[in-house]
Amino acid sequence: MTLWLHEWRLLLRQRLPVFALALLAALTVAALAVGLAEVTRQRAAIAAIPAAQAEDIAAVAAFVDQKQDPGSAAYYSFHPTWDAPAPLAFAALGMRDVSPHILRVRALGLEAQVWDGDTFNPELALPGRFDFAFVLVFLAPLFAIALFHDLRSGEREAGRERMLDALPVARTLWRRRTGLRFVLLWAALGLPFAVAAAIAGVAPATALAVLLLIAAYCLFWVGLAALVGRLRWSSVANAATLAAAWLVLVLIVPTMANVAINAALPVTQGAEIAMAQREAVNRAWDVPREDTMRRFYAHHPEWADSAPLGPAFHYKWYLAFHQNGDDSVAPRVRAYRAGLEARDRAGRALGWVLPSVGVQGLLTRLAQTDLAAQLAYQDRIRAFHRRLRTFYYGYLFRDRPFAKADFARAPRFGNEPDS
Amino acid sequence: MSAATLIARDELRLLRRNRVAVIATVLLVLLTLVAVATSWAHQRGIADLRARHQHAAEAAFKAQPDRHPHRVVHYGTFIFRPLGPLAAFDPGVDAFTGNSMFLEGHRQNSANFGDVRQSSLLVRFGQLTPAFVLQIVAPLLLIFLGYGALARERERGTLRLLMLQGVSRGSVVRGKLLALGIVAMIAGLPAMVGFVAMAGQPGALALPMLVTALGYLAYLALWVVVILLVSALVRRGRDALLALVAIWAVTAVLLPRVAPDIAGAAVPLRNRLQTDVAIARDLRRMGDSHNPDDPHYAKFKADVLARYGVTRVEDLPVNFKGLQSVESERLSAALFDRYSGESHAAQDRQIALVDAAGVLSPAIAIRALSMAAAGTDFAGHRRFLDQAERYRFALVQRLNHMQADAVSYADDSAEDPGADRRKRVSAANWQAMPDFAFAAPSGAVLARAALPGFGIVLGWLALAILLLSLATRRLGGNR
Repeated sequence: MTLWLHEWRLLLRQRLPVFALALLAALTVAALAVGLAEVTRQRAAIAAIPAAQAEDIAAVAAFVDQKQDPGSAAYYSFHPTWDAPAPLAFAALGMRDVSPHILRVRALGLEAQVWDGDTFNPELALPGRFDFAFVLVFLAPLFAIALFHDLRSGEREAGRERMLDALPVARTLWRRRTGLRFVLLWAALGLPFAVAAAIAGVAPATALAVLLLIAAYCLFWVGLAALVGRLRWSSVANAATLAAAWLVLVLIVPTMANVAINAALPVTQGAEIAMAQREAVNRAWDVPREDTMRRFYAHHPEWADSAPLGPAFHYKWYLAFHQNGDDSVAPRVRAYRAGLEARDRAGRALGWVLPSVGVQGLLTRLAQTDLAAQLAYQDRIRAFHRRLRTFYYGYLFRDRPFAKADFARAPRFGNEPDS
Repeated sequence: MSAATLIARDELRLLRRNRVAVIATVLLVLLTLVAVATSWAHQRGIADLRARHQHAAEAAFKAQPDRHPHRVVHYGTFIFRPLGPLAAFDPGVDAFTGNSMFLEGHRQNSANFGDVRQSSLLVRFGQLTPAFVLQIVAPLLLIFLGYGALARERERGTLRLLMLQGVSRGSVVRGKLLALGIVAMIAGLPAMVGFVAMAGQPGALALPMLVTALGYLAYLALWVVVILLVSALVRRGRDALLALVAIWAVTAVLLPRVAPDIAGAAVPLRNRLQTDVAIARDLRRMGDSHNPDDPHYAKFKADVLARYGVTRVEDLPVNFKGLQSVESERLSAALFDRYSGESHAAQDRQIALVDAAGVLSPAIAIRALSMAAAGTDFAGHRRFLDQAERYRFALVQRLNHMQADAVSYADDSAEDPGADRRKRVSAANWQAMPDFAFAAPSGAVLARAALPGFGIVLGWLALAILLLSLATRRLGGNR
């Protein structure tokens, strides 16, 4: 133990490692604070939904109540959905800044609504967020390089290496020295994270997984530094080589792979789905209304016993052709989604060979801020939209009036029935 | 041959003999070429795709059958943001903004389907473009090649020898500057060659290209000077390297991420839900077309009747429903303008904060310059959004006027089996509608937008030169 203490004292006397560790800890704390603030902001935005929504829906209810037409209720009522950040989201904000985490939908064609975005400043999103994932993936390796590039070469250049190697405990000495620096590097990242995770209420198992991930990623860079150190180059050459490796592994290969993946896995453009859906929806005005209803009933036989259409406009026909429009692009939507998932899988597969990508992928997965989480949110929107449609169909296809009180009966996002 | 040139030659010979330096330079040149090729192919692919989509959307609009004009208001149209030729050099925010918009009546939709939501997680690591290589990668190469330029001479004592032989300090520094400057030119050359090749495309503008080229020249020159400055000030080569890598990491990697986060927290944006609810609230206050007793629409109706000297809407020579649509679109569009104006102003304030951070990080300044000159910054996106909204409003109002003039009120209100046929106007009308044509900004506008960033980079360069000349005077002094 005293030897560890001596090693610690020795470290404290060196300016570079102490400064590097303090700076890394400070950056980690700053990034965690930014992440926690951002997640708090997102939660506040979600918490502000009910008040705004109540005001909006009250106005709709007031005017729908005059005629009690369920179609008007369905047409004018927007229903909020939201995707609350997971406890760990503060550590890796992932896609949450460019994908909406609040989206209002109505019972009309969903494909014209579900791809909408929220307001965000693209110039702020462009460089990426300053979150814990960034500090870990991008910055921590640079600090590892600063701490480890001259571990042996420094002693050699000071003329002490031979003497140290001649000691009977040489191996344990090097191990102790490496171990101490590694533990400190890990602590500079891990301790602030652990505190933030405790504040955010992250499940202990998840927090532990992240702490292990930090250790593994640091270990990779320490190992790389040790490998380069074995070449017995000068400290300068070691530093230059490691920094070049950082550049290649963290910046160049991921950006090149992004180009390669997008070229190798083309996705049908989302805009084509939107255009096809609009065409399918609007065509209904130019074809016999009975055709539309037949098609709708073929897909949704539970409403087929509804009264036939009269000569006047009826909203059940309107909603039916919106549903038909969605149904007609369903295969395209599946293909589009499969394309996005294939790209995501390819990116993640790269993570097996590229630690930087692997760590980013794992962190965003644990934090539920990646594409999979966005698609899961979309699935929840789709399920909610099904409930919305069924709810309004129950009035429209049975010709039941829709009064003010019925607005309170509309399905609410987030409290799915147990089934 | 002057002493400075001799020293530059010697430095370059040393670099040529250094295998790592040569390999690194060659790799950077290759990387730039790959970036130029892929970025250009990507930009051309996107431009073609969007042109094709735009064409398909226009064709679909014109191929509509006879329809009621209000149906066409809801049928709407799709427009796609075109991509300028310089987007191949610096695509800026293109991947982060949606590039297609659905324009329809009563609603202002978001631009959707940006690449960022269609790509793997790698997109957040950065984009391989010539601009990225010049802004981020090239300075690091220059650091590796130049950190020892002066520190090495001092560490080995050769600096003293040079000075003993009567070489002035200024000549030494100028020689090293020249050598590293030539390396910087070699590193920047492929990107500039690609740049010139892109200039051959139609629509490429001379003025912004000139500002971009000069901007990157100044940016790389700045790094050359800073590298020599640190190399002159720091005692050991290793310290010079670590200090320079730290400067690079802070200015090129850290600050460009921290500044936007601070700006985003300092100027919050109103989200879409709150905006929509606020617009609906304001709309109800201004005039609620659903409320039969609404004072605004009651007055509007009275005014219209008085203007035509009739007492009933049925007696009007025009279709009152069409006039009402015109009025309600006018009200809602004014609100859309106000709220999107507020949001854009807030985003401009955010960007101004980030740009101010350019004073701390020349990488932020050169990025702003580069995007502004390429027209791929937020201002460029906003130009598209503003023109899209103007086009949307004009299109919808044209259709509403068509409803007022070409569909009779009696037909519009009828619900008998033949009424649907009588409400429709001829398909020839859709073909007569003008298409959306994005008016690209002039070269002077783009160049002017790039000037602030250029100014900051030049200011940095001047400061660095001043500091280097001060450091030169003390070079090789006793310590």
